Amino acid sequence: MEGNKRRIVSTLCILLAVSLLSVTASFGAESITVLGGSVKSDSGGNQGIPTIELPMPVSEQGKSYLGLSGTGNFKIGQIKSQVLIIEIYSLYCPHCQRAASRVNELLRLIQERPDIKEKIKIIGIGVNNSMYEVESYRERYKVPFPLFPDLTMEVSQKFNVRGTPTFIGLKVNGKGMLEKFYFAEGGFQDAQQFLMEIIQLSGLK
Amino acid sequence: MGMLCIAVLVIMGGADAVYGQSSGFTAYIYPVGNLKPTDSIPTLKIGDIAPDFTLPAVEGGKISLSQYRGKKNVVISFVPAAWTPVCSGQWPGYNISKNLFDKHDAILLGITVDNIPTLYAWTKQMSNPDEKLWFPVLSDFYPHGAVASRYGVLRSEGVAERALLVISKDGIVRYIDVHDINRRPLLEDLARALEEASNH
Repeated sequence: MEGNKRRIVSTLCILLAVSLLSVTASFGAESITVLGGSVKSDSGGNQGIPTIELPMPVSEQGKSYLGLSGTGNFKIGQIKSQVLIIEIYSLYCPHCQRAASRVNELLRLIQERPDIKEKIKIIGIGVNNSMYEVESYRERYKVPFPLFPDLTMEVSQKFNVRGTPTFIGLKVNGKGMLEKFYFAEGGFQDAQQFLMEIIQLSGLK
Repeated sequence: MGMLCIAVLVIMGGADAVYGQSSGFTAYIYPVGNLKPTDSIPTLKIGDIAPDFTLPAVEGGKISLSQYRGKKNVVISFVPAAWTPVCSGQWPGYNISKNLFDKHDAILLGITVDNIPTLYAWTKQMSNPDEKLWFPVLSDFYPHGAVASRYGVLRSEGVAERALLVISKDGIVRYIDVHDINRRPLLEDLARALEEASNH
């Protein structure tokens, strides 16, 4: 009898595991191991990362930097760049405030290099921040790259962000799809060193 | 991990999330959980004369509300307690928004019911070496919560509400926001209140 019970339990466990696997497969989920965690893709849009939609930058300068046009929302996969660095930050986070000048410096270093200038772009996402709060931060730190509000935390939750600042690196892979290659909580101390790390880990040529 | 503001996500009823973003070192922030949004009985209304008070400041000396009468609009930010999630991520935002206060000829007074040594350690940890807190932080510790009580923002557990008041130069209360203690007020709401108060 005990043997039979064990067999029944084992069969149920296998059936449960198989059904869970098929549910996962039906959503087209693909888990990608990244530094500091993993993230699941969804079936549409960018394979390997969640579908993230952001409001189109208001300024022409912001649109031009990201290679976008029009109004409404855009998907981050539409950004014209081989590598995208996303800083998840907040107006209310002192460590983000301390890091602000270094992130600006990172953009300057990228812009100074013609070989990577068009290949690496940076955006900031203000977690739990409104548009007003995002603009206050931009004004305070003269942030030269586009910033977007994430008042409902939808974006940061999709990336499983737990703290700020968090830096996420995405790259366009060989199949023309976005893939996450970097995820780190906390800031960086040296912009040049961070840039070298991004270039190396993304395999950018 | 030390250089990290920790986002404390408390999922409430599925889709709704409360976000408390604390500044500083993770291990130092006490997780308070989700609290009753407000827990006090209002004593003031718009148009009332703001009760005067004198409280000790972290930087030394004492500050009275009346010293700003006719000189500055005053924003009072009561926060519940030092070393708690949302509070630790509220004043750092005001600290880099000095322009907003200057624009409306306003001073900010931060008040909690903590004692001075606690507030000293907490505010030192939350400010940047390059950007010290520009506004006075006052201790309403003894008699415990006396000012919070007069302003109708002392909760039953003995801490203050997360409340913002704007008092125009003539000493009149122009704005009261006794906010959900679990959430941070939006900066634009305070900006609008300051705009309105500065017209008086």
